[in-house]
Amino acid sequence: MFEDRILLWKFRCGDRDAFRLIYDKYAGDLLNLAANLLADKNQAEDVVQDVFISFVESIERFRLTGSLKGYLATCIVNRSRDYMRKKKRQQTAAENRLGQTTSGVKNPLQLAINSEELLKLSHALTELPYQQRETIVLRLHGEMRFRQIARLNNVSVKTIQSRYRYGLEKLRSAMNGEVKK
Amino acid sequence: MRPAENIEKQVKQLRYETNTETHNRVLGNVMQAMDKLEKQKPGAQAPNIWRTIMKNPITKLAAAAVIIIAAIVVINQLGIPVESSAFAQVAGRLRMARTMTYKVTTNSNIEMEMAFKEPGYMRITMPGGYVTVADWTQDKALTIMPPRKQFYEMDLALNNDPAQRQFDAIEKLRALPDQADEILGTIEENGRILQGYRVRQNGTVNTVWIDGDTQELIRVEAEFINAIGMNVVMTDFRFDVDLDDSLFSLTPPAGYTRMDIQVNTLEISELDLIEYLRLWSSWTKDNSFPPTFNPIELQKLAMEMERQGRFGEGKESEEEVKQGALQMTRGIMFVMQLPGDSNWRYAGENVRFGDTSTPIFWYRPTGSETYRVIYGDLSVKDVALENLPE
Repeated sequence: MFEDRILLWKFRCGDRDAFRLIYDKYAGDLLNLAANLLADKNQAEDVVQDVFISFVESIERFRLTGSLKGYLATCIVNRSRDYMRKKKRQQTAAENRLGQTTSGVKNPLQLAINSEELLKLSHALTELPYQQRETIVLRLHGEMRFRQIARLNNVSVKTIQSRYRYGLEKLRSAMNGEVKK
Repeated sequence: MRPAENIEKQVKQLRYETNTETHNRVLGNVMQAMDKLEKQKPGAQAPNIWRTIMKNPITKLAAAAVIIIAAIVVINQLGIPVESSAFAQVAGRLRMARTMTYKVTTNSNIEMEMAFKEPGYMRITMPGGYVTVADWTQDKALTIMPPRKQFYEMDLALNNDPAQRQFDAIEKLRALPDQADEILGTIEENGRILQGYRVRQNGTVNTVWIDGDTQELIRVEAEFINAIGMNVVMTDFRFDVDLDDSLFSLTPPAGYTRMDIQVNTLEISELDLIEYLRLWSSWTKDNSFPPTFNPIELQKLAMEMERQGRFGEGKESEEEVKQGALQMTRGIMFVMQLPGDSNWRYAGENVRFGDTSTPIFWYRPTGSETYRVIYGDLSVKDVALENLPE
């Protein structure tokens, strides 16, 4: 974590390479997080780009209080929620379902789903209510603790644990027992 | 494997792999935004306080000198003694810590980040990107000044007064008394119940707040009896975090040039203080003396004075300006190294040079019965305690 503090300090002093190092270190995980939250590769790219631009814009007054990865992940979550709200207003959910994009090999951000089983699971994840999906993605891809996710949502840990449990239950049902081997 | 675990494992496998093209595109867009931001900076942004001060050749070096002194003061003065039963646990943790980081906030909300590492390393990050690294294993310290792309080296061994030459912040922190002088009771803060303790030690009064549930050290409010107005608050304590040795490197960054101000504190005397006061009064348009002797506060106040146009044109040569900064360093260092029982006081704010009747500084030299008093005309008299200003 202290390495991040040094990179931040160097970046604040005008060292662009320090920013590149921060970007290289976290961009992959953040894109993955955003893509799983939004189930949309293009929006995921936009969200990550926006988060990094905001980060750059605020660097002079930015003060790190926890981990940089945690901070950036939280920004991704907040920005993703904005996108989801916007998307709800503008489009029907079906237009952007992940299933319709996975067949497109031209996608620059391609979901590496090689098995039919995983493809089905990704569909099921997309169909979950957003709060449950977000909880599962933050827990399993963002490596956040229930307590952190609860704080982020301003709800109790129990609520988050319930969302997680119900979400997994729905995924299991959607898989119709195919996960049981 | 249980079905739930299987599902979790499979969700983790839902990974969007990104290619180089995507990364480069996003990074390229961010860098473009950064370029735009850079171009907008000079005109569009609010004036940067550092840019303001760096316009004036006098204040720019004075600011650097103040930063250096602030670093020295922080190295020498900040300590955090703690203790009692919740206290004992915190004290034990402090004693055992291999590394420690915390934040220091001054009266005027200037923040500094502190980091310590065994066996004798310390790093202070100050506003404006200034960083001081002290290495007591080599008795050397380095301050780097990004706004000027300069660095300044200090020989810690030159100050060989044991009372002053301390790896102090960390050592004071570890030299905890067995009992708190006062138990303050509890307060509620951000949903936590904090237990307060007060400890008086070596001219420092520390009010220590510990989380009653977790026994974590939350905050230390330090008052220095010998340095009125220099109160600081220490927060965000972390222990045994990984601190890479590179953080404590004494090698200046590439492209930085040396700032040549060498101060041997053994050779500093009262005359240095008087000369500094004379110089400062010559820098201000109204010939007033410095507003404070707290080097951390002085940094901020000097910048405000510069913005208010209270300094002169600064037509001195670069060499004269350097000498001025050196004198400033020596003058403030004289005060900072006075022992705790010298009872020094500074009262020069708003007093102008030439005022023969107003005492602006007094202190009791070691072993003396009387006080040395410096007046507004910079004359000095020996004065008995009962004749000092209240």
